[in-house]
Amino acid sequence: MKDPQIDSNEGAIDLSHHLSTEARDRVANPLKDILRVISECPSDPHHSIYPFRQITYEVPSVLDTSDPVTSWRNNSGLAQIIRSYKDQECALSIRDAFPAETVITDFTNLIFTPPNHHVTLTLGNSDGITKVFRLFGEKGDHFLTDEFSFPSMTNSPLAYGVKWVGIKMDSGGIIPEELEKVLIKWDEAKSGRRPHVLYIIPVHITYIIRVGQNPTGSTLSVDRRKKIYAIAQTWDLIIIEDDPYYFLQYDTPQTNSTPADPDEFIKNFRSTLIPTFLSMDVDGRVLRIDTFSKVLAPGMRLGWITSNELFHLKLADYTDSSTQPPHAFGQMFVTEMLSEHGWKTEGFCRWLKSLCMDYQRRRDFLLDVFKREVESTGYASVNCPQAGMFVWIEVFFEKHPRFVRGGEFGGSPVVARTNTGQLLEELFERLMNTQGVVFIPSSTFAIPENPLWVESDGHVPLSDRTRFLRATFGGTEDIIEKGMIRLGKGLRDFFQN
Amino acid sequence: MVFLPSITPATSAADAGLKRNRLDYSRHLSAEARVRLPNPIKSIWKAAQVKAGTINMGNGDPHHTLYPICEMNFVVPSIDEHDPVQSWRSSTGEQNIIASYKDDPCTLSLRTAFAYGAGAGLKEVRDALANLNDRIHSPPNHTVSLSLGNADALTKCFRLLGDPGDSFLCEEFTFSAMTNAALPLGIKWVPIRMDNNGLVPSDLERILSNWDEATQGKRPHVLYTIPCSQNPTGSTLSLERRQQIYQIAHKWDIIILEDDPYFFLQYDLGVSQSTIQQYGYTRAMADVLPRSFLSMDYDGRVMRLDSFSKIVAPGMRLGWKLDMLTDSSSQHPHGMGQAFIAELLGSDGWGVDGFMKWVSSLCNEYQRRRDLFMDVFQQKVAISGFASAEVPQSGMFVWIKINLEHHARFSSSQTPTVTGANLMDELFRKLLECGLVMMPASTFAIVDGTGTTGSHINDRVNFFRATFVGTDETIRDGLAIFGRTLEEFFI
Repeated sequence: MKDPQIDSNEGAIDLSHHLSTEARDRVANPLKDILRVISECPSDPHHSIYPFRQITYEVPSVLDTSDPVTSWRNNSGLAQIIRSYKDQECALSIRDAFPAETVITDFTNLIFTPPNHHVTLTLGNSDGITKVFRLFGEKGDHFLTDEFSFPSMTNSPLAYGVKWVGIKMDSGGIIPEELEKVLIKWDEAKSGRRPHVLYIIPVHITYIIRVGQNPTGSTLSVDRRKKIYAIAQTWDLIIIEDDPYYFLQYDTPQTNSTPADPDEFIKNFRSTLIPTFLSMDVDGRVLRIDTFSKVLAPGMRLGWITSNELFHLKLADYTDSSTQPPHAFGQMFVTEMLSEHGWKTEGFCRWLKSLCMDYQRRRDFLLDVFKREVESTGYASVNCPQAGMFVWIEVFFEKHPRFVRGGEFGGSPVVARTNTGQLLEELFERLMNTQGVVFIPSSTFAIPENPLWVESDGHVPLSDRTRFLRATFGGTEDIIEKGMIRLGKGLRDFFQN
Repeated sequence: MVFLPSITPATSAADAGLKRNRLDYSRHLSAEARVRLPNPIKSIWKAAQVKAGTINMGNGDPHHTLYPICEMNFVVPSIDEHDPVQSWRSSTGEQNIIASYKDDPCTLSLRTAFAYGAGAGLKEVRDALANLNDRIHSPPNHTVSLSLGNADALTKCFRLLGDPGDSFLCEEFTFSAMTNAALPLGIKWVPIRMDNNGLVPSDLERILSNWDEATQGKRPHVLYTIPCSQNPTGSTLSLERRQQIYQIAHKWDIIILEDDPYFFLQYDLGVSQSTIQQYGYTRAMADVLPRSFLSMDYDGRVMRLDSFSKIVAPGMRLGWKLDMLTDSSSQHPHGMGQAFIAELLGSDGWGVDGFMKWVSSLCNEYQRRRDLFMDVFQQKVAISGFASAEVPQSGMFVWIKINLEHHARFSSSQTPTVTGANLMDELFRKLLECGLVMMPASTFAIVDGTGTTGSHINDRVNFFRATFVGTDETIRDGLAIFGRTLEEFFI
């Protein structure tokens, strides 16, 4: 088994001062310490009495067609059988089913080329992120994130006393200069310890602020990523890169031919992907969170964190003291799938590329139907995302008969001056209950503002800017079409109230 | 899986009488648990499920047509064999294939298994397990939710119930991997004395009634216990002790965390053949299995943790939940495991009764190994007088006592506590060198930090935990090494 780590300790710095008290106090599982000496855990049932000796998975063949996803959906392609065995040879035997880390490490090194990092398995991104939060956060801490973020995750450390600071965004995502401003202006006497963690979802909120007439929206550019990394170095920040939609990137230049040579294919594929924070992480301050949820299935409950060695060891200890490693079934499947018997890394990249094309077609389909059914009402517009699974529909609440604008003078810079928030909630509920279509209102993603770090001149309160509905194009064309028709109808009802 | 006391009141008249002592569970929650917000996206997802025909364009769920698995087959033993475990081990029996499909009917479709779900786990699986546990425990009024195994369930309970500075109660020898997990959370452990039969109820009572909040902090409100095949001592709590402990918990308002992964591995049960023939395996096993704390839980103060780790396979990672904490952290258990269990327990698989037949066959197999272990132990080890052990009634562990009084250094020592601990350490290392791993008692010992016990636990660490889960060969070879090494050690 080749050593999966590129051995170069240059640039790696000591970041242990970022660890929470809990993480520092955590001791390794004493039993696992003793058992590192021997190969079989003495209190595990013997494999001869596991009531399964073979598992078979029927999966798409990624070799017989250039578009395996479409063939799979149409039932027109070939299938492939991969197997896990207990008593015969395979990539990860049922007897040993734990270390899928090897194949995932290989994949990570190939695609992300991190300078010097280690892989820790997780049960998906939610698990990965919440573990990482616990690693660094304690009561009184402030963490940084985009002003529109992902409260499914940001809510969790609130329970143990971590607070969030939202950084201003524009159509290109988080604004590096705004990030720096917050850090420069931070007053530790008033607000406590300066923030030391930045949680970023580079592909999610791709457009929330209209700038001029061209709401194309984009994922965080390379230039911004470099600037943010430099700021992180200056101010000693940990960067948590949460990237479940990374592989769904659109409008990338297509070469005319699909290389048959596996290494060429992987190289080509990589060149279409935007560089990650991980790939530029010379200090070891980035923890990147990846998952199979969006590219295999959510129920896989399998993902991985790539980080420096110290954080990897701490995460491994925490995993041993809590969830335990991910389930054997998932590890076996992924290992076989990435192995010689399955798709191999190159085949998995073919699947990913094909998935990308499929989602791009659906995106374009939604935009077409939207134009016909919704834009025509004059009450909403939509962006054209370059990545991910979502569009953001902007609703022109100012056209509503009950729209109210007031309180222009004085007052707190964060208090709403319009009733956008209420109208948005009302629209959301009407669409769900009357039209039978569900979108997520952008208020769900807003990180509450605190006047302490908001400049009052020219600042438009967040509540006045949350005028969006998030819609996915992950469903079938039938669902998308029906959904847009219901939206159009619902908007007309709502505005003509 | 875990049983949680139900928060919604039961509606049947039969339960009305049981509701007299309904516990207000909420005051046991940690500060963190009290302020925890629900996952807002999950909340919307749940709301979208309510009305049929609702189109959900809110959540980032890949469509099932894009899941790259359309069928999974599992080759499992046929449950029609008379002794399925034996037939499986010797490869002499029939095998069955159970299947999960994405696009064809089965018990739990892969469309559902591979999608996002609520933290509690999928209905098909929860229902099957609730059925099983109703028939075994008849819990007064509890809800089943799935977990990722007992370690996950337990550590989530610690976060749910414990604030920094809290003291929790546990057996003085316990599964330290778990108790250690609570330490970084600021939880302290208060050990309860044990004897050959497990946790001593009168010591539990003594600790609680002598507790002085002024000097010791908040009185403990949680008891962590492993009632069957206690880890590491291998003892099983009798019915009388369980009832006494429950009474004490009732009196002092204690939550009982019943960690029971070895519950289904019970020996010398005398399962009735005629009951099997008339009513099936589930009823026959239910008749002879121990009464759990859950089964007597009229107050709703027991959180029971069950696991497939010891009766199916450790990598299953399937067991409990806590709705809000799970939805905001590890999410629901993995689809493959749920699909497998659903099919296994479903009508095309073994069914619940077939599963209990597998369990009873497993019990026979482990009992055989236990008997082999005790026989060889008698011949190769106990005969010297340097060590002794009681016969365990359940589970996987034998708690071997080392009679240190035979050692010259011990009997002549002025500081026997220290010498004893050192000798045990030496013996452990000597055994390792000779190629045998047995877990020393010190690994599991809870040192009393709150001044509640009279003596230091190092007075009682002259034990090893051994298991009989290996092959017959490893049992024989291992005990031979043990016997020889002991001789060398004591002479």
